[in-house]
Amino acid sequence: MNGQSVVLQHSLSPHAVKYWRMEELIFNIIAFIVLAVLFYLDFRFDWYSWIFWVLVALAIFFVIGLVWSFLSPPLTFKSWRYDLDEEFLHLQFGIWSRTEQLVPMTKIQAVSLTQGPLMRKYKLASLSVETMGSSHAIPALPKETAGELRERIAQFAKIKEVEQ
Amino acid sequence: MTDNRRHHPALVLFKVGKLIRNSIFIILILFVLQADNDGPLLVYGRYAFLLFFVWSIVSAILNWLTSTYALDDQRFYLRRGIFSKTDQSIPFSKVQNINRHTSFFHRVLGLTSIRFETGIAGEDATVNFEVATKKEATRLESAVQEYKEMLEVEPDMATVAEDGSETEYVPSSRKQPEQRVIHFQPTRCDLLKASMTSFSFLLLIPLIASLYYNVSEFISLEERLDGIGTSLLGSPWIIASGVAMIIAASFTFGIIHTFIKYGKYEISSDSERIYIKKGVVSEASFSIAKERVQALEITQSFSKRVLGLAEVKLISAGSLTMGAEDLNISSLYPFLPKQKAYALVAELLPGYQIQEDMQRLPRRALWLRMLKPSWLWLFATAALFYFKPNFLGIVDTWWIASILLLIVIFASRILDFLHTRYLLNDELIQLKDGGFTSTLFVTKREKIVEVEITQNRIQRAFGLSSLKTVTRARPIHTSYLEDVPDALTGTFRLWYRGRTREIKLDAPN
Repeated sequence: MNGQSVVLQHSLSPHAVKYWRMEELIFNIIAFIVLAVLFYLDFRFDWYSWIFWVLVALAIFFVIGLVWSFLSPPLTFKSWRYDLDEEFLHLQFGIWSRTEQLVPMTKIQAVSLTQGPLMRKYKLASLSVETMGSSHAIPALPKETAGELRERIAQFAKIKEVEQ
Repeated sequence: MTDNRRHHPALVLFKVGKLIRNSIFIILILFVLQADNDGPLLVYGRYAFLLFFVWSIVSAILNWLTSTYALDDQRFYLRRGIFSKTDQSIPFSKVQNINRHTSFFHRVLGLTSIRFETGIAGEDATVNFEVATKKEATRLESAVQEYKEMLEVEPDMATVAEDGSETEYVPSSRKQPEQRVIHFQPTRCDLLKASMTSFSFLLLIPLIASLYYNVSEFISLEERLDGIGTSLLGSPWIIASGVAMIIAASFTFGIIHTFIKYGKYEISSDSERIYIKKGVVSEASFSIAKERVQALEITQSFSKRVLGLAEVKLISAGSLTMGAEDLNISSLYPFLPKQKAYALVAELLPGYQIQEDMQRLPRRALWLRMLKPSWLWLFATAALFYFKPNFLGIVDTWWIASILLLIVIFASRILDFLHTRYLLNDELIQLKDGGFTSTLFVTKREKIVEVEITQNRIQRAFGLSSLKTVTRARPIHTSYLEDVPDALTGTFRLWYRGRTREIKLDAPN
């Protein structure tokens, strides 16, 4: 946000790019297999011709998605920044549309850490924070950092405002 | 803690009355209009209905027998359930607002109903006493209100009390309830104006229509009316006087409707709470502690703007509606003269000094908005092009309709741009927007739960950003301010960070 932007200190784990690519790769392989089976069935059983065109459209989307899934991880990584002090959690992200969120610690109701099997491989974890209205997640942090952050946020969020 | 009490026995009567009211049409069909019909569907329908009716009454009685409530100086204790019992305790500190409603039924029996709305998520958010004596309702209400006063006056003691340790709170030392100041009561002139803007005179049309359809299902009205119609339409005088009579009737109806709904309105307050009372036939009253008002919304529809009227709504974290009876009382008064509205807000809520002089969006924001593709228009045009409807035999309907729609969309965008204003006014934020109906949203930064600043690529090229604030309500209230100059985002961020100066911190436990 041109000059108006404050520089946020922290970024995600550098392994995040590898992790996202791997995740996308697995997803793409599954999608490819499904699509290939459908094309084969279409060919084998001679389905209605419009189904073929729907499949072609899906295939085009698949190729676009494939390219994007290869290009986007570094961009997402670059766009992600977060920072926190005892009063606020500050998040900033987004490639096409940049979003900045400012959440008071006193309004945070729950912090949780999630780690899928693939994340474990890269020693990553994602941290999600729930407020009264919504939940915010910081994806792909180094495992230790995520644990540390969770403790800190829990500590800061313990102090509650008098709710009115 | 007082003993466990049952709800008022008239609750059973109330439930049965409600049941009869809701199934009046089924009863009419089954037992009156089709009484001679012995078709299997109707015979079994009658048995099924009787079974359902008896079961409803039995369950109402059982529910009344098994539900009890009690309260001490801090909590409600509710117990209910015929087979599986539920025990619930709701602290007074969670009560956001209090609604009292005396329907016609309650009035006849000298009773009332009272609801305590909390900010708790889920179904159990309300402590509801559907039938209670006036004395009991007042006792409950004052128990909750006194707790809050105690919290206000001696915050330390209240925290001690919450820990469950002994309380030094002595009821006799409670300060005397101060005099309520009445801020607003509508005059006849106000009501007449209101009946014009609310268009309630148009209500007669759907009322007659629904009556007509309901009746004509059983009696063939149409044939009879056709006969009368042809003879009547012969004379222009009869038509003219008929039309005049219908117009006069609808205006009278509209005025009566408004007088019943908004007559006897009263807005008052003391140092802690705001009270709103309304209703002639059935009464409703609403009270909210001042510091529980999460935000304000001042709405002006097109017709209200013409007459210089505005509606002020209070946003509370508890639910504000009073149930099915359409006695939504969240608004202070829907037809306040604009200046009076601002003055009233300042009187009622001392922190809310609304400034009318607000900042406009830069002109480039208008260009950006004009450039934005309208999905509504694109889809509508595609549909029109595909179907090419022939409205009134005009072949070119599709492109005429498409252009008209485009004009309306652009007009609303221009109006929205012209109406959009914003101001960071000390600890207040004022956001105004809207096309044909404009809305001014005002809140304090301490009430804002979180903020978001977004900027997409196009906005970046124009040097514009969008702001979003979230405040508590049921459900969560979000308001947006789109296409503000980039320079504001820094100010906005700093302004929001400044909330730490105003919030009161609870003792860490």
